[in-house]
Amino acid sequence: MGEETTTLGTIHISPKAVATIAYHATLESYGVVGLAPKNLAEGLAATITREPAHGVSVQYSGEEINIDVHVIVEYGTRITSVVDSIANSVRYHVEKALGMPVHTVNVHIQGLRVSNPD
Amino acid sequence: MNPDPEQRPEHTQSMPIDGQVLKHLVEASLTWLRANQQTVNSLNVFPVPDGDTGTNMVLTMQSAYNEIDDLAYRGVGQMAAAVSQGALMGARGNSGVILSQIWRGFARALHNQEVLDGYNLVKAFAEARDTAYKGVVRPVEGTILTVAKDVATAAAEVFEQTQDPYEILSRIVPAADASVQRTPELLPVLKQAGVVDSGGKGLFYILEGMARFIAGEPLDAPVAAVQPLSAMVLENTKEAIEPGQDYEVVVDFVPSKELDLPRFYGELEKMGTSIQVGEGDGMYRMHIHVPTEKRYEPVDYVMGLGTITKIAMENLIAQMDAMRHKSGRDRLELASIEPGQIAVVAVSPGPGISRVFASLGAAAIVEGGQTMNPSTQDILSAFENLPTDKVIILPNNKNIILAAQQAKEVTVKKVQLIPSRSIPQGLAAMMHLNPDGNLEAVAAKMTKAIDDVITIEITTATRSVEIDGVAVEEGQVIALVDGALAISSRSVEETCMKALEKIGAGQHELITLFYGKDLSSVEANRIADVIRATYATQEIEIQDGGQPHYQFIISVE
Repeated sequence: MGEETTTLGTIHISPKAVATIAYHATLESYGVVGLAPKNLAEGLAATITREPAHGVSVQYSGEEINIDVHVIVEYGTRITSVVDSIANSVRYHVEKALGMPVHTVNVHIQGLRVSNPD
Repeated sequence: MNPDPEQRPEHTQSMPIDGQVLKHLVEASLTWLRANQQTVNSLNVFPVPDGDTGTNMVLTMQSAYNEIDDLAYRGVGQMAAAVSQGALMGARGNSGVILSQIWRGFARALHNQEVLDGYNLVKAFAEARDTAYKGVVRPVEGTILTVAKDVATAAAEVFEQTQDPYEILSRIVPAADASVQRTPELLPVLKQAGVVDSGGKGLFYILEGMARFIAGEPLDAPVAAVQPLSAMVLENTKEAIEPGQDYEVVVDFVPSKELDLPRFYGELEKMGTSIQVGEGDGMYRMHIHVPTEKRYEPVDYVMGLGTITKIAMENLIAQMDAMRHKSGRDRLELASIEPGQIAVVAVSPGPGISRVFASLGAAAIVEGGQTMNPSTQDILSAFENLPTDKVIILPNNKNIILAAQQAKEVTVKKVQLIPSRSIPQGLAAMMHLNPDGNLEAVAAKMTKAIDDVITIEITTATRSVEIDGVAVEEGQVIALVDGALAISSRSVEETCMKALEKIGAGQHELITLFYGKDLSSVEANRIADVIRATYATQEIEIQDGGQPHYQFIISVE
């Protein structure tokens, strides 16, 4: 996907690499207790292949990087704030590592985990 | 803050902590956090657009307090639940969300409790820690989470000695402070930035606010602000100097005993203004503006407090004069464009050449040239914001034409690209600019004009080569005529003369010399005089071009 031409040659960055960065940034965001596959088929595939970034998908259209993360959030947190900080953190870490602008980060709440029902 | 229960003010002494007292404690922590909001904000290290930590935590606490402001609950459990609810509803940013989780755990431990006793308090801090840690898969240590954990541990330890909840609240504050000071050891990014964790510091102020309330200490203003060294802004950006600010004095020192900050500030205030104090790793930095006659006083004063490691003293008035002089010289006055007019974007390798383009009516300048080609994005952003959709680009270098072409393809504006391959060609084109004319017609005229001029570029060969029958050795001075290697010789002067002779400069009218930044104006003028002597009937102009690499760019027309 991401391509940059230097005097030494061309650098290719695969969507998988971007997904891994996004995955770790998401996991370190406060309020996230896990990532979830988008659907059952993807969940099975991720389990079999030990996909290092399940729950994250990256699209690169040649111009724009779009990232979707599917997360499970701790019950009792303010979800809008949690989502904001996931989106900010993913964008920041990917842009810092790649030096390319991220167009959108979509955060999908796949579920809530109830540790303590107040 | 005050461990002696006898000295506690009347209003809290021996009063059980019920819902109403908790309300006062929350109010106190909000007030104190707000008083120190800027200090917390200044600790931000991540440029993540997450807002400022101090502001986020204040907004979260404010929402918590708004929730309980008019509640008359007596039970502390009910009140804490309301605090938790309010914090949750108003949680802003990462630190706010964590803070709301801390309150949530705190409240859960107090469920159905009427008063907050020592035992409950320890339990509440433990539950607060657990709830906060449950909110994330990978807790990062060296953050507010760590401080919450250390506070819970400290509360349990203090409980071994006293079961008085006021006592416990007061005595965990030093532990919270110590925990905050340890955060850089746990989180390298903090250490690199020379700061402590902002969220942890915010939690510390929340607890300290409660302790200050218990001790009957004022809450509205910080005692004296000490910022982390890295957060101190010492560049003087002021436009004017007020009387009594003639000198800026900055002193780094290590105090021999703990600094009495209020007194330190008090003494400094007698000497001058713009006082800032920073601290990092036990070293303090003091910044002050003083009148001329008092310029040694801060130094003498600090000398008595400890060991001075560094002194910097600057005469601000002299500095300001120099700045004014510089900014006046460097200001570039670009043509202002009305909607519908044609805007010219010119690529220029040096400040002098930029000024010439600006004086001829260029609306935007992109820096760039032979070895520093601007990107498509650089060119694009130079004209995207201009208030017109008619744009002419002058790349002024053959290596930049492609980037300019791409900028033309990407934008929605109407762009004409003039394939100018040199500065003189670009300037010749500028002569035919009519901002109010028809875009295509003006562009056609300007494109035609680039052939009216001959360009000579004088530079130093970076390698030995033979091109077009001209042999060049590394280090020799060469002349390129319209981009092709024409002359090589030993000196700049000789190369200029030979190149002018080769193109038959005697048949032309005007010779303009732009000298580069590697050439002194004295040397440039000397060479110009030699040229004048030979070409007496031609008009010779000399300009400070400021371009790198090229000793001269010469335009002959």
